[in-house]
Amino acid sequence: MKFGAVTLPDVSVPEWVRGRSSPKLLVGLGLGWLTLFFIAPVIVLFVESLNFGGGDLFANYRDALSGVYLETLGRTLYYALITTVVCLVLGYTIAYFIAFKAKRQFAMLALVLLPLWIAIIIRYFGVSLFFLPTGPVQQLFGTDFGVLFTTRGVVIGLVSALLPFAILPMYNSIQSIDDELIYASEVLGATPLYTLRTVIIPLSLSGVVAAALFVYILAAGSYLAPALLGGPADFMMANVIEQSFTYDLDLAATMSVVFTVTLLILIGLFNHYANISEVLSDL
Amino acid sequence: MLEVKNLTKYYDDLLAVDDVSFRIEEGEFATLLGPSGCGKSTTLHMIAGLVEATSGTVHLRGNDVSDTEPYNRNIGLVFQHSALFPHMTVKENLRYGLKMQEFDGDHDDQIAKYLEMVQMTDHADHKPGELSGGQQRRISFARALVYEPDILLLDEPLTGLDRVLREEMRNEIREIQQEVDVTTLSVTHDQSEALSMSDKVIVMNEGRKEQAGAPQELYEEPETQFVAEFLGQSTKFEGKVAANDPPMVRASNQEIQLASDIDTDRLDGDSLSLYVRPEKINISTAEKANGTSNTFVGTVSHVEYLGHRAELEVTLDDETTVTAFGNATEEYAVGDEIAVQFDPEGVTIV
Repeated sequence: MKFGAVTLPDVSVPEWVRGRSSPKLLVGLGLGWLTLFFIAPVIVLFVESLNFGGGDLFANYRDALSGVYLETLGRTLYYALITTVVCLVLGYTIAYFIAFKAKRQFAMLALVLLPLWIAIIIRYFGVSLFFLPTGPVQQLFGTDFGVLFTTRGVVIGLVSALLPFAILPMYNSIQSIDDELIYASEVLGATPLYTLRTVIIPLSLSGVVAAALFVYILAAGSYLAPALLGGPADFMMANVIEQSFTYDLDLAATMSVVFTVTLLILIGLFNHYANISEVLSDL
Repeated sequence: MLEVKNLTKYYDDLLAVDDVSFRIEEGEFATLLGPSGCGKSTTLHMIAGLVEATSGTVHLRGNDVSDTEPYNRNIGLVFQHSALFPHMTVKENLRYGLKMQEFDGDHDDQIAKYLEMVQMTDHADHKPGELSGGQQRRISFARALVYEPDILLLDEPLTGLDRVLREEMRNEIREIQQEVDVTTLSVTHDQSEALSMSDKVIVMNEGRKEQAGAPQELYEEPETQFVAEFLGQSTKFEGKVAANDPPMVRASNQEIQLASDIDTDRLDGDSLSLYVRPEKINISTAEKANGTSNTFVGTVSHVEYLGHRAELEVTLDDETTVTAFGNATEEYAVGDEIAVQFDPEGVTIV
């Protein structure tokens, strides 16, 4: 079995499992887990979001889709979009560099993956310390970049946290392009930049699509970045839902449903333009 | 016309190509032939500009292109695995080079002309993934030629194809090459490919040029032991000159007569290597062996039946193994006593 450039070993089923397991049992375990801890809670949320206390059944939805809550939804999608664009541009550059120019590809990939070993909150504290007006870095420059507790702070934090998820799928699809194709383009008369545009990018598009999907979903659902690095006006859906959870459970449940459905619609639209299952099977 | 002068390539401390020089005339089909790792592919890539030479120069139609980027060299290159762009149709693949080279004249006409030449007109709008291996080679051949490059380079263009298709493509490539009259340099490790297609063969070994010449010249008059042993089959005798008139060499147990008109300069040196091609060796039963020169008796040690003939290995009493061809209708068995004979003119001295 192959995953990108890595060949996975063929693992045989251990003796004690043989005859005691069946495909049905294995599927049942997975589906059971999903039903119990994922699908059931979503249903509970949905029931909770409905108004059974008389009047309009969907009264909560009118609140969740208006005023500050609608603004927050828009802001969330917008921040996720900026984060995705920045991650794709930076990530593609880095992935391209590792795939074609780096002498030690594995060392470089290890550097990309290393931050994932550190708790995300610690990494955000790192970013926070970096931009803290009284922190060592700002002191060294003798100035305050004015980034902390602003939108830029949130985006910088999100990009730094999610970049590995952008680099990996794009690296995977860039490095799987046959070198001969790039040589062929050059010999046919294309400059390196034109080769990048007409050969390398089109052939690594599946990695770009996968990266965009990962980063967008992870960024939209972010709670810690706006909480630690943004100002009060930078709150995203996760923050608002968490806040309302303590005083208005119904509203929190409604916003959760709205947010989930919005993301599903977006993914559906995305799927309409880029066939996601085809892209993911390419990886 | 392509002229390569003192081309040398080091990979760190490893010498891959060692001071190689040769020249190919306009319209000629030349082949770099050698075992894998002999530096032939590296040489080709240096000519294309894909690998930077450590030293030496490449002249194309009189222009020094040694420092020219590959995309400015106006070269056509057919890759080992076709290397067609999978996201473009056949037509778009061909158009790519025309557009990049800013080809004068109608691009559509040019594409149609070359697709017809490789008999792929019906597949113009297909993606490479929909074509067979042989069809992909044809397209990659058309793509390399469509913008009329100064030189066509072929990097083991027939690897991975089955034998029948390979022989068919060989003829076709040669025909097209002559039709468009393009100077061509091919790289291969397959000697029958090299000998059958080329006007000129350049044999390489361990990074060096061993010998260059017409196929017959290389086969009949090898200048080095490597060329004698690499091209075709032969029996090797090693020995010292025992007499000069008529010239005779004494190998361990055999006295071998040489042609009397031999160039006496070749007889210099302590030890001589003599080669005899199997087709120059006559075989007969041991009893029939008469007193003619260069007749030796041995035992058949190996028989390979090839349909149109049998290939025999005969071991002489000093363990020298002679390779000879036997008549397919005769029966030879391992252990038979047999006489081998060859004329003095059939001996090549290296």
